[in-house]
Amino acid sequence: MLNKRNRVISKIVTYVSLVFFSAICIFPFLWMLLSALKPKTEIRTATPSLLIHAPTLENFKRVLVDVGFLQYIKNSFFVSIVACVLSMIIAVMAGYALSRYYKMKLVKTSNLAMMLSQMIPGVLLLVPLYLIMQKMQILESYTSLILAYTTFVIPLCTFMMSSFFDTVPLALEEAAEIDGCNKAQTIFKIILPLSLPSLVSTGLYAFINAWNEFMFGYIFISTDKYRTLTPAIMLFKGVNTVDWGGLMAGSVVAVIPVTFIFLFLQRYFLAGLMSGSVKG
Amino acid sequence: MNKFKKLTRDQRKWRTAVIMLLPALVFLALLIAYPLGKVIHDAFYHVHLINKSMTGFAGMANFQKVLADEHFGQAVKNTAYWTIFSVLGEYLVGMVTAVLLNQKFKGRAIFRTCIFIPWLVPIIVAGMTWDWMLNPEFGIINYALTNMHIISQPINFLGDSKYAMATVIFVNIWRSFPYYTISFLSAMQSIPGDLSEAAAIDGAGVFKRFFKVTLPQLRSVSLVIVFIHIIWTAINFDFIWVMTEGGPNYATETLPLMIYRYSMKKFDVGAASALSTMMFTVMVVLFIFYYRKRSSLSDDMA
Repeated sequence: MLNKRNRVISKIVTYVSLVFFSAICIFPFLWMLLSALKPKTEIRTATPSLLIHAPTLENFKRVLVDVGFLQYIKNSFFVSIVACVLSMIIAVMAGYALSRYYKMKLVKTSNLAMMLSQMIPGVLLLVPLYLIMQKMQILESYTSLILAYTTFVIPLCTFMMSSFFDTVPLALEEAAEIDGCNKAQTIFKIILPLSLPSLVSTGLYAFINAWNEFMFGYIFISTDKYRTLTPAIMLFKGVNTVDWGGLMAGSVVAVIPVTFIFLFLQRYFLAGLMSGSVKG
Repeated sequence: MNKFKKLTRDQRKWRTAVIMLLPALVFLALLIAYPLGKVIHDAFYHVHLINKSMTGFAGMANFQKVLADEHFGQAVKNTAYWTIFSVLGEYLVGMVTAVLLNQKFKGRAIFRTCIFIPWLVPIIVAGMTWDWMLNPEFGIINYALTNMHIISQPINFLGDSKYAMATVIFVNIWRSFPYYTISFLSAMQSIPGDLSEAAAIDGAGVFKRFFKVTLPQLRSVSLVIVFIHIIWTAINFDFIWVMTEGGPNYATETLPLMIYRYSMKKFDVGAASALSTMMFTVMVVLFIFYYRKRSSLSDDMA
């Protein structure tokens, strides 16, 4: 057993270390926000300061109004929400099959196929995907991004759902079946209401993944009308000069939605994420 | 309706399973399996995005071209460094933070939230923010380091090939370690507390308890996340592209960036596909190894 002095020391060590790690994790965001609020003269200086002498919303105004980030935000939301809903529907169906019919050969093979496809990087398939989208004439559209984002989150989302379904007792379903429910009714009336927490975390994962994705948006979209936030941020990085103030303001805009959603739903999110990753 | 009734229970089960899996399988077949097949096919053919006159069977020519690329060896080495040191760093920091957070004290939830936040943000935002902080002229980090006399002159962290790789690895660790923290934390919380207590009564110190009681319990979760991250890190494109685009002078060019260079800059799809095929083969080998290891580990546990 630890004596009292040791316990105090261990508490202090814990707090000091955690403050240190948290500071490293949080400081870049603080600096991002500070830079976004600074006028140009305070950004391009060799003696950067934590204080802002003349705070300004100039950068945000430039980003949102002049550069057209409002449109990009709208695009990002639209693409992410549709991709999220679509992948949830697919993941619920496939996850149910993986959990309930695991003994079947077809299901086992699908499980293996999903594990494998989790390891295939987007960049490896970039060219054929580009050509497929070109052939289907959906380059420069929301559809191309929605399809790509949905595909790449299906495996993990399916594993998240199926590991939850594993915990739902089979007896519940059998009872519903005896009462005359068909499969669809059983799923909608019995299983899904129970799975709300996992649905939230799966959906959140799909949403955040789509919101944060960069490469497909960068390659598939070149018109302002359909551009999403993450590739738009790259626009600030010119060939010779970088508009750091604008870049940081754009970053703040891109980070705010995910951070807030996470803060409200973190309890669900973390638990679901873990169950899926350990299974997949 | 009548026809359905006649199906046996097994047949009905089979039908349900097929219907439920169908959407997922369609997506995977059309957008992963088919493109993958195309990549493997193209690796053996002359394919060029612009110069359409380049056609026909290439044999091993694409592979030879890629292997003869003067930057190939460097890219393989970079990929290995990038992957090994990133995963190692993430594992260590993730483990330390998880151990710290796995104690009872006030404010635990706040610290956990703070530590998890880097994982949420887009890679491009993480990369660009660090790029800005590390800027040699106006960056806060160089200013702080010179001010504290740790370095005498500002360092161009991302522009100097001596530091560039270490810097991108650092930023990658910063963004990715929270996933380890949360995984370890949830695994530790499922370890029965009396196990550690019993060891403490038997006189085991903090470190001994960690290495003899906690760590062995984390074997299975460690295997899963280390494997997944080896793959995810090795194939990652965004991070390095955003921060250095593979430069300076190829110092941070990994294989995914080389694939990108061949396909989107040289438009030589054949060579890019040959490179992708090689990478994919290595990953399949890793996967088989992992799959075996995992099966034997879950047999142990059972």
